[in-house]
Amino acid sequence: MDDIERELGRDEYSEGDADISDDMSSKRTNSKLPVVNPRHVETQRTSSFQKSTRTCLGLIREALLHHSWQEAAEYMACFAQRLEESRNGPVVQEKELIWRISTEILHHHPNSKMEDYNNIYERMKHSGFKNYLMISLEHSFHLLLNGRVKDARHQLSVAESWRHGNESAIQHKKTELIHAYKGLLDYVMWCDKKSTINHAEYPDRLHNQDMNNLFRAASVNLKAILRSPGVWDPFILSYVEMLEYYDDHEEALRVLNDYAYDNKYPPNPNAHVYLYQYLQRQNAPDKKLMKVLKVLCELVPSHELMLEYSRLLLKSEKRTNIQKALGIILEMLDFACWRSSLDTWKLLEAIIKKLQSQCDWKDSVAGAMAARKDWWPALHFTRFHASRDSEENPALKKVKASLTQILLPGLMLKYTA
Amino acid sequence: MDEEHTAGYKEPCAVCAAVDWGISDEGRFYCRSCHNVIERTKEVVDPNFNPGNSRVTAMGRGSRTKRPERGRQWVLCEGFQFILRSQADALVRLGVSPRFKDEVLCELWRSFLQKSRQAYASNPVRPTSVGGPGSDVDSDGAAESTANSSETDGDSCNQSIAGSSSNWSEFSGSLDAVSYLSGSMRTSRQSLLSMKRTLALIHVALVWSREPLTLSDLLRLVNDGHVPYVNAHQELPDEMKLRGKDALLFRVQSIPSHRVVHRDAQALILLLQLPVFPPISRQSLLHPSLLSLRYLMDANLPDELHPWVCRLMERAGMADQTLYTFHLEGCPSLPRYDVQTAALIIVTMKLLFGLDDRTEWELSHQACDQDATGTMFSLRRWFRVVQAALTRAQQRRNQEVAGKQWAAQKLLHPDSQKTSVVLKTKRVTEQVQVCFEKLSGRPVSARRGDPSSFRFFWGDGDSADGPSLHQKKLDGVLTLKDGVPTPSNSTYWHPALSASQMCSRLYSDVEATLPRTFVWLLQLFCFLLDVRPAYLFQEVLKVETRVVNGNSRKRSRKTKTKT
Repeated sequence: MDDIERELGRDEYSEGDADISDDMSSKRTNSKLPVVNPRHVETQRTSSFQKSTRTCLGLIREALLHHSWQEAAEYMACFAQRLEESRNGPVVQEKELIWRISTEILHHHPNSKMEDYNNIYERMKHSGFKNYLMISLEHSFHLLLNGRVKDARHQLSVAESWRHGNESAIQHKKTELIHAYKGLLDYVMWCDKKSTINHAEYPDRLHNQDMNNLFRAASVNLKAILRSPGVWDPFILSYVEMLEYYDDHEEALRVLNDYAYDNKYPPNPNAHVYLYQYLQRQNAPDKKLMKVLKVLCELVPSHELMLEYSRLLLKSEKRTNIQKALGIILEMLDFACWRSSLDTWKLLEAIIKKLQSQCDWKDSVAGAMAARKDWWPALHFTRFHASRDSEENPALKKVKASLTQILLPGLMLKYTA
Repeated sequence: MDEEHTAGYKEPCAVCAAVDWGISDEGRFYCRSCHNVIERTKEVVDPNFNPGNSRVTAMGRGSRTKRPERGRQWVLCEGFQFILRSQADALVRLGVSPRFKDEVLCELWRSFLQKSRQAYASNPVRPTSVGGPGSDVDSDGAAESTANSSETDGDSCNQSIAGSSSNWSEFSGSLDAVSYLSGSMRTSRQSLLSMKRTLALIHVALVWSREPLTLSDLLRLVNDGHVPYVNAHQELPDEMKLRGKDALLFRVQSIPSHRVVHRDAQALILLLQLPVFPPISRQSLLHPSLLSLRYLMDANLPDELHPWVCRLMERAGMADQTLYTFHLEGCPSLPRYDVQTAALIIVTMKLLFGLDDRTEWELSHQACDQDATGTMFSLRRWFRVVQAALTRAQQRRNQEVAGKQWAAQKLLHPDSQKTSVVLKTKRVTEQVQVCFEKLSGRPVSARRGDPSSFRFFWGDGDSADGPSLHQKKLDGVLTLKDGVPTPSNSTYWHPALSASQMCSRLYSDVEATLPRTFVWLLQLFCFLLDVRPAYLFQEVLKVETRVVNGNSRKRSRKTKTKT
């Protein structure tokens, strides 16, 4: 409808015409399926302008689905007029639509250049305030992916200082993200600086001013984001690396411990892995390592570090530990991904050998294998496995063959040497 | 291309003293004879320039905004007069006779202004801050000249406004937009001017001058942009400034539908209390007997169908010219020439072919079997050819609808305070558009075709929509009975016909029960005329009522009648 009709509130269509609801087909179905509300309900109040833009959007969607980027670009040029709709409401969604579809087209179109991206990002950023932060973030990601770290960082610093009354308070979570990524980019630049310094020029590496500034800037942001609950793997790694460089081990350990053990963070096996790796680098005693790995074992029994854990347990020579090691290795082998791993089987062999030095090893082995008797043969010891292993990995076959009788005594297995 | 950038620079080159400048890739001026590059560069429009990012480094002193030019005072009817004139000019350029504009439209316009008391009246409704009619205006003081004297009309109206300088409205560029939209005007709907009204006026004028341009043709020309409608306000002269509330009246966001304009035209005729129209006789091109020829050609139907259409017309009592000539007593509703003709054709086809999803295909099989030479009209072939062309044409139209640009170059927005926001949005839109135009290599507005009365082109050339079937014979569906060719099909179906039931039934309910061929035929003609299927279906029912009931008012159920 034209503006004048809306303004005057005239209802021109109520004069008893029969075909009013032509377009609104009354679906008086008796179906029990949930009815999806159509995205656009076309009524008399739809103006031709809206029809135009909706048809255009439909055609753009078809073009996108068929990957015809040239066509999509043509229709996008026509669709840009959608921004000029005079009423509020649908325009905000359209801005987001235009932003996302434009970037998608630019990603795939063969002729798209960096300037086009910059252009679109800048325009859409300033065309509204709801999307400003997200578009800034995406823009800086894009610049980062194309190797322009400084520009990305600049974008983020501009976005950091954005204020828009109430809106910036409502979007504070996004602002936190922006701070975090700015910290990360500072770290990236710090890494660049680190790799380029010549040790001869700067014998005292701790006093390189640029690097220190970057470190300080980055650590502020990274520390801030690490305080809030979430999964922050890349951030924590970069923070810890910088701290290690500057020999601030206390802080590093504290951060890692918090990340791994504090309940406010969502359960994250990687946290324990990072803590373990850090302790390894710092040559921590075995007991500490084992403590960390114990938690990891409960979280992810099939983790590759379980091999390490078993080795440590074996090294410790305590009887209970060896028992535990057996359990851990068997649990690992429960998972099909370790089926062809020679190291795992070899370690199992070593454990069994160690166990055999004790007198009641048969019972302990039988106890460990009790639950597995039924399905391990099918998992590891079929004739197919035999033929495959003898082709691909004869050493593995030898190890496995020697273990068949020990693990599963009395069963007639097809797995023969 | 370089010339336009270097045109102003006429200094001789320092090296070779020639005046022959070009622009290099970097934008610097270079001498074409000796390739000497100088410091001068051409002005570049930088698409990456972001006004939003620059920081203000200096504070301005006082207000820098200039007051916009006021232009002159003008009232709404002047604006609409300009627009009407440009629309009529466009039609005259397209081939309508100038009589339509000079004699008919002009008189209608004046009569309208008089009846709605906006001008040419002794007591015109004038906008003042107090409200109520203002000072007198010379009645018919303007010369009885053609619409070229619209300036003098405007001036004579203006001069008699007393104390006019206090009448500037902050809300609109015109003097009376606010009062126009206010309560007093709202109550009397007929006197309101709007863009839709201009179309209704033109339609009435066209009918009066018996031009063969039907309402659907007019709307099609408007849609394609051959007649100014969307953004017609850009053609107003510069000194008539459009601002604020004027936007509500002059800015359009949709093209009105056939039904709406027809109803408006009807209301207009009643308001103007026009006398009997010039008669539409059988020789006139608006009469179905000649209009049907055009539609038969467009739908690729054989010419032999035409005599059958005329026979049906006579049988239904619709050949009489009084039925098509508007007359307050005899024919109080403005006839819809295009829709009625299409309905007649559809009923003819129903008579000849049956169109009940069975008979027509059987007849077509028979025709194909008997036909050795290929001169017979086969419905199946016709359906295939036309369906393919229709699908293509519908896709093309869809693309045109999607690509239609509605924005004007001149800015117009109802809310004056939001101008800066609107300007900014416009800039953003333009930037995005330019970016994608560059990417796709195709400018947005390069889509207008040439105006044509026909939607399809049937023939043998490369640009044809399909082979032409106009010359085919209808012998396949006719048999000789007593030496007179009659249709082989002897049954006829129709939904329950009753005068009272016609309006209350919804087409969407009935549509599922109708044969598919019939529905497809309706859709074909709806595409040709650009109307809704329900609209056309109603008209078909009306024609059928006339045919079946004749002059008696007996009710008929869903029966098979022998023809």
